[in-house]
Amino acid sequence: LCRGGLAERLCRLQNRQRSAISFWRHQCISDAKIPSDKSGVLIVKILEIFEECTIQVAICQQLEQSPAPLSPEDAAINAEEPILKVLFTRETAAHLKSRPQDVIHIYPPWQKLLLRNADVPVIMNTYFSQKVLLSEHSEAREKTYGLTKMLIRKNIISLAETFRLDDPDDELHQLSSDHSVACAPQIHNNCDSKWHPSALSALNDSLLEIVESQGAVGWREAQVRVVIQRVYCLTARQGYRSHLQGNKSFCATPIMNTESPNVRLCLLVQDAYGMFSEVQLQFLSSTDDIEQHWKRREGKFCCLSGMKILQRTTRGRALGLFSLIDSLWPPVMPVKVPGQNQDSELITTNLPPPSFCYILTVPSGEVHVEVDEEEQISNLYRPPTVRGLKEILQVDGSNERCSFWAQVLYLRLQTKHSVPINQREILLFVTDSTLQNVVHMIPKVVAVSVTASCVLSVELMEALSVASRLVFFKDALWGNGRIICVERTVLLLQKPLLCSAAGADLSELTGPVRLDELDSTTQANSVCALRGTVVGVNESTAFSWPTCDRCGNGKLELCPQDRESLYCKPCSEVVITPVLKMQLEVFLSCPSRPQSTVKVKVCHEISFRLFVLLTILLFLQSYEVQSVLGKEVGLLNCYVHSVSSHPNCVALEEIVLL
Amino acid sequence: DMFSLRLKFIFGPCAVPALDLVDQRSVTRVTSPSGRILYQVLGSSGKLYTCYSSCHFCTCPAFEFSVLQKSESLLCKHLLAVYLSQAMGACQELSVSEEQLTSILLAEEEDEG
Repeated sequence: LCRGGLAERLCRLQNRQRSAISFWRHQCISDAKIPSDKSGVLIVKILEIFEECTIQVAICQQLEQSPAPLSPEDAAINAEEPILKVLFTRETAAHLKSRPQDVIHIYPPWQKLLLRNADVPVIMNTYFSQKVLLSEHSEAREKTYGLTKMLIRKNIISLAETFRLDDPDDELHQLSSDHSVACAPQIHNNCDSKWHPSALSALNDSLLEIVESQGAVGWREAQVRVVIQRVYCLTARQGYRSHLQGNKSFCATPIMNTESPNVRLCLLVQDAYGMFSEVQLQFLSSTDDIEQHWKRREGKFCCLSGMKILQRTTRGRALGLFSLIDSLWPPVMPVKVPGQNQDSELITTNLPPPSFCYILTVPSGEVHVEVDEEEQISNLYRPPTVRGLKEILQVDGSNERCSFWAQVLYLRLQTKHSVPINQREILLFVTDSTLQNVVHMIPKVVAVSVTASCVLSVELMEALSVASRLVFFKDALWGNGRIICVERTVLLLQKPLLCSAAGADLSELTGPVRLDELDSTTQANSVCALRGTVVGVNESTAFSWPTCDRCGNGKLELCPQDRESLYCKPCSEVVITPVLKMQLEVFLSCPSRPQSTVKVKVCHEISFRLFVLLTILLFLQSYEVQSVLGKEVGLLNCYVHSVSSHPNCVALEEIVLL
Repeated sequence: DMFSLRLKFIFGPCAVPALDLVDQRSVTRVTSPSGRILYQVLGSSGKLYTCYSSCHFCTCPAFEFSVLQKSESLLCKHLLAVYLSQAMGACQELSVSEEQLTSILLAEEEDEG
């Protein structure tokens, strides 16, 4: 059960109530007399009983007070007394064992319900009910009837009634309580719900109007109500000069760190007229949880006030922003048309996508965005369409935003020595069930390139470095046969809120992940599996080195005190049992790609209990190369470094999938 | 609190699981341009059930058994979750094309067959 959720609350209430009921019943038995406190007690006489779907329904007559013992002949119904429908749960009914003509005292807290179409009020929450035994007449009756089991008519609701085929207007279970009531929202529903009365006068729903009337510097008083369509982070440099730059990395840290806060939380909002605006909010630190921000805000209404206009940008100058806006067009609900009567609305067919967008920011770091988190997700919210990877790969067109939920198998930093570590591009190899279950023509694993402009949270990186995880890629870019994560793409560990109607499978992958086998179509910077026979060893590249068994440091030194032991500087300790890492390049002959020379860098670890560095080296030099030739190498998972046709050569490196 | 106790009174064992589904925002309202509406509920087992509010139907086996066959219950937890989510405005919204909606409807038929 969700912690703090309604279900948990109900469970607790239920338990409390159960103990209260059993306590009360126990009291009644021990008391044997009617308690004198009559306030709030409902007294009814049962006229008729039947059962409907485990609830016992008793048609009763409400009595003003406890009746004087009546003779059985006085069973005529007094037409003056109000008729009630009293409901008893199966358990209460079993306890009461009531019959027609019985008088029941119902103690508070019972509830009265008045249904719209019916004139007989319904009484519920009748847990605290007690049958009042009348005089000797009833006792005699009890004896006679007590032995025969009373058969209670079961009222079976016809299927026609269940499916409401004969009564189309009747809404099932319309509770007229003071809690909120809403019918199924209609398509043409106005997208407003709770409005704070104080702000009503100054509240606007048109961004354009506000921008044009208030000017560039700070809006006083005026507020505009918008829907948050997307929540994402932008690195500071990008602001409003965002272009699609493919592989080029920006001069900004893609992964947040506390030293230089240069990642801003941004919202892409849309007003009631369909106009978009990008709002740049506060800077985030590495401790901020992007996922929380996303969850709390995306899809909800918010009020913007006191904004400053940074820029008015157009499609040609902000390709990235507009590719996201295009993915949100056309709006899911009809939008208002400016200049028309407030009440008239236009169906959004043939409305052209927006060609400009205002970039707004908050002056001096204050937050002027009020999100009503209790509110429902807006009808205007257009969630990302989650599709299977197979479907995405087959999409025609370029620079389209796509969202998917996939398992990350392997992570690789693209090494470019000129670029600092935290600005390098990351390559994620992902798959989902739509790719895994495919026979041919479509790769089993796809590489997703994460550029430096896409902000990754610390939690995500930590999670990915430990194990294979399912990640929600929201608004990634698909084009030229590649999926890339750029600015405004968000990677989340949480499942997407909404499921796509047809195809996206959010379940975990069943069974082991399979990679494509190395063949003639294999390209560089991909992963594959291969098998073959060792035909050669590149001895010049073979070497081994001891590493620290605690931290994996490969640069061990000789102990200053004791020249025979190894010392690990980061750990500041002597390494007693170093892990020996061996790297070897082998040439394989692969039946799946017979024409090529396949060179695989193979890495192995062996743990030794040795005392001397020299001993390790000696051991290695006597290692027989000959014994390796002709060996069959099983299915190895590899990363393809390069593929060339002249000479026909493939260079790979053995990898370990997450 | 009163509200949820009333729910419990009327719907019995369905109430808590239904509220749990609402807490987890498992109900999605799927609409198409023609105005057709149906509801998809992500059940606790991970399976997606389709519910129709216009005629009180759910594709889960519990509904088929308790409501239709045995007339023991008024509804199943998914349907209750749908009604609650409607009333509380806790539905996720999804808008799909006509074709996609048709495919959902047809898919249900295939399962039955």
